Amino acid sequence: MAKQKSNMTLSPRIVMLIAKKEYREVMHERTFILSVLIQLFIASFSTFLVIGLTSFYDPTALGELDMGSTKIAVVGSDESELYLLLQNSDLAPILYGGFSDAYTAFYDRKVDAILIIPDEPPDGYETLDIDIYLPRSDLKATLVSLQLKEPLEKFEQSVRDIRTKRLSGYTPLNLNIVERPTKTSSTYFEFLYVALLPLLVFTPAFISGGLVVDFITEEFERKTLDLLLVSPISLLDVVSGKVLLATIIAPVQAFTWILLLMMNGIMIHNVITILFLVLVTAMILVTFSGIISVMFKERGMAQLFYSLVLIFLFMISYLFTNSPMNLVTRLSIQSIGGLETVIWLGGYSLLAVVLYGGLLRVVEGE
Amino acid sequence: MAGWVTIAKWEFFRSKLKFDARSLILLSASLLFLIAASYFAAQTGMNMNNDMYRVALTNPALEPVLGIDQRFNVMTVDVNTASNMYVDDADLVIIDPNVFRADTQKSASASEALKSTLKNYREGVLTSYNDINNSHPVWITVHYLERPEAFQVLSGERRTAAEEETVTTQLSQEEVEAAATGRPAGEVGAEATPSPPQTAEEFQAIQRHNLFEKQTIATPSHFAPPIPFTAILYSFMFIFPIYFVSQFYSSSIMDERTNKKCELVLVAPLRGADIVIGKTVPYILATMVIIAIVTTYIKGLPTDIVTIKSSLLILATMFPIVLLFFAFSFISAILSRSFKELTFAMVFLSVVVSGYLFFPAMFANVHAISTISPMTLIVLLIEGETINMSEYIFSTLPFYFVGLSVYVFGTYIFREEDLFTQKPITQKLLDCVEIFMSKPYGSVFLLSIIFIPFVYMAQLMLIVMLFNLPLPYSVIVMIVLAALIEELVKSIGIYTLFKRKMVSPTLKNAATLAILAGAGFFAGEKLLVIITLAPIATSVFGSVMTMGTLLLIPLMVHITGVMVVSLGMYAISPRWYLPFVLFASILHGLYNLFILRGILFG
Repeated sequence: MAKQKSNMTLSPRIVMLIAKKEYREVMHERTFILSVLIQLFIASFSTFLVIGLTSFYDPTALGELDMGSTKIAVVGSDESELYLLLQNSDLAPILYGGFSDAYTAFYDRKVDAILIIPDEPPDGYETLDIDIYLPRSDLKATLVSLQLKEPLEKFEQSVRDIRTKRLSGYTPLNLNIVERPTKTSSTYFEFLYVALLPLLVFTPAFISGGLVVDFITEEFERKTLDLLLVSPISLLDVVSGKVLLATIIAPVQAFTWILLLMMNGIMIHNVITILFLVLVTAMILVTFSGIISVMFKERGMAQLFYSLVLIFLFMISYLFTNSPMNLVTRLSIQSIGGLETVIWLGGYSLLAVVLYGGLLRVVEGE
Repeated sequence: MAGWVTIAKWEFFRSKLKFDARSLILLSASLLFLIAASYFAAQTGMNMNNDMYRVALTNPALEPVLGIDQRFNVMTVDVNTASNMYVDDADLVIIDPNVFRADTQKSASASEALKSTLKNYREGVLTSYNDINNSHPVWITVHYLERPEAFQVLSGERRTAAEEETVTTQLSQEEVEAAATGRPAGEVGAEATPSPPQTAEEFQAIQRHNLFEKQTIATPSHFAPPIPFTAILYSFMFIFPIYFVSQFYSSSIMDERTNKKCELVLVAPLRGADIVIGKTVPYILATMVIIAIVTTYIKGLPTDIVTIKSSLLILATMFPIVLLFFAFSFISAILSRSFKELTFAMVFLSVVVSGYLFFPAMFANVHAISTISPMTLIVLLIEGETINMSEYIFSTLPFYFVGLSVYVFGTYIFREEDLFTQKPITQKLLDCVEIFMSKPYGSVFLLSIIFIPFVYMAQLMLIVMLFNLPLPYSVIVMIVLAALIEELVKSIGIYTLFKRKMVSPTLKNAATLAILAGAGFFAGEKLLVIITLAPIATSVFGSVMTMGTLLLIPLMVHITGVMVVSLGMYAISPRWYLPFVLFASILHGLYNLFILRGILFG
């Protein structure tokens, strides 16, 4: 009984001492530097993807890169509408009489693709089957397909203008978008705010959760906890100190990332609110992993459960609006109202407090 | 009976003990939850972009149109409110038939999103008509043909057979297709190329299959360039189990170290290697079993010989990846001084290895360079293509090499004085090198060769890391860092010999060792070029890489670099090792910059 009582006392001074001790150890072992390196790697890897892949999906993102010179061979009539559309596109179509001539030109790298125009007229009744030949395992194949997409879609639209009249009750939906000078690719914009920013600000929180597992299970496995507990320090002091440190370092790192992004000219709104959300999320993850560690006392099992819980939380974030990830996106681009923000932040804070209560219960049970 | 079998049995039973009833119940429960959550998440299109654009509508009829896209937060209001919301409270204001947007990035992105949504809506409506000829009148069939690459540095080596056969003959369309698909000309029209669907069901069937197959037939609106994001999906499915098992593995190794549990095993008449193998084999086996299950899930039960072959090839390709992950877990568990350090080291190494696996695999089917990553081979195998031996060797050899040598070095220091003491990590690493050098086969020449695959992988990762810097700075930083890595591994052996007083630091010794180490690195690099560059030699990237190695090749540069360090340590003291390595790297880097000056500045 006496031991249980001492488990539950909580002294703020000792909690701070424990937090400071862990802080010194984390700094001493250079684990913190390693953690920053990990995040740096994730960031550079993501930017690599964003630049590399958006330029693939959106040739305009390649900017000054001159792609207008791609020559393609066209087999078919020079009066066909598709040929005219190709002539007006970024591609340079060259008409060939037959497939074998076109293939020889393709093989000699005079052209980078072959397109065969079907004989079926647009107002006919059979499908128009276009054959496209591309070089295998070659970046040119990707570039040509990208450049072909627009003229092909225009061609499809013009054929549809004729043929969809035959569909009963079909009226095309026409909205006229009034253009403005600022242009951007939505792939790029969405990658930045939907994937990169949330990932960067939450990685420190994910890491903090794993950190707490090590903080706590190490004390159990090395049996150093017994030594601590004979002193006037309670188990709750020890656990709270570790939870406190792990929670606090998350928003600090997140802030660094936000600063870095802002220095790169990426506009981020509601920074303070986002940092508060990171703090709350870190607390949720850290208390959860604290509960797991006190229950299992063994690193392998605790880390396994923590990872499973983390992936589970990640998966359910897809299922509803205003999951922490989604909330960061909406806050950073000002797509959410004040009241909605307060309600959801309040909800997450409540969850964090409830989980801390759960941690108290588990510690009490020890 | 071999000692390692006994250890493996112990390990197996011990890990079974950890899974008591409570853990097993909790574990299965959380797995079930996880599977359920993943299932529902997969239904949503896996995007956390809900309600990111605010749209004000005046025509309620448009609500269901925008409703198909979760990105839009739609508010239906009257015309007055809508015009008041314009710019500040809504990113798009739709007053039928006009769409107004603000002059901001977000609004521009929203209008792009609207365009694609309208297109999807149109396709959806048209698909509901069971009249393909009128609703989807245009169909594209994509065929891929081989042709020689433009740049050929190692010319003559890979002039393909196809080239010799076809260069002058006049071929018909069918014959070329036949050559491309490997079937006789007559059959091509029948089955090799899919034909446009005749009914709505067939159309939907085509769209459903797109995720797992290379797109060959599509309408212009669904036509997508060949960039398979599926590579990432596969990688995750295969690599997640490895992450989990390696957690247990590293915990188990660490467990032997905390409280000196392993002491009793070490005094038993067993070699260190027996203990290491015994502790490792059960985990590798478990991982391979899980991977086999994942493979069966993706490929289906192996019923015919082709599926069996490709499933086995997938396992054979995954094995070196597993080996490397486990080797890194093993060495992290031996080197780290605390659990925190272990976790961070493992996360760091996993992220790096995953990066190495993911990044080139993104370009599977796009570019030959993607075969650097074994994941590309996995993607190809899943897509039903075959891989050849040289591709397998090219992408897995570095994994085998690095994995095995890490294990050998780790086993050297699997002994009391390294396991149970709080030695600094650098000292433990030097212990590895010291033991290697004291073996009969140990020499700085061999050591340099062993480090080549490490250098190769590290430099490839540098390319990814430095991609963010603008040109030409990225290339300059890359050159200097690459030189630093090379100088470091070339001289580490000599440093150990001097520092641990295994060789008396005379002028003759310093010079001979430098020549040996430099020559070893040179020989290893040559070997690497021969083995690995063959498959991509014909591509543009390959030529850049060969050029890169060509300019690193001059034997003199390698020897000079290591000579600077070696003589420096002889003249002053081994304590000055790092400054001299830095100095040598700068020299080496300057030389490379000088060679590359034309490309960089001209």
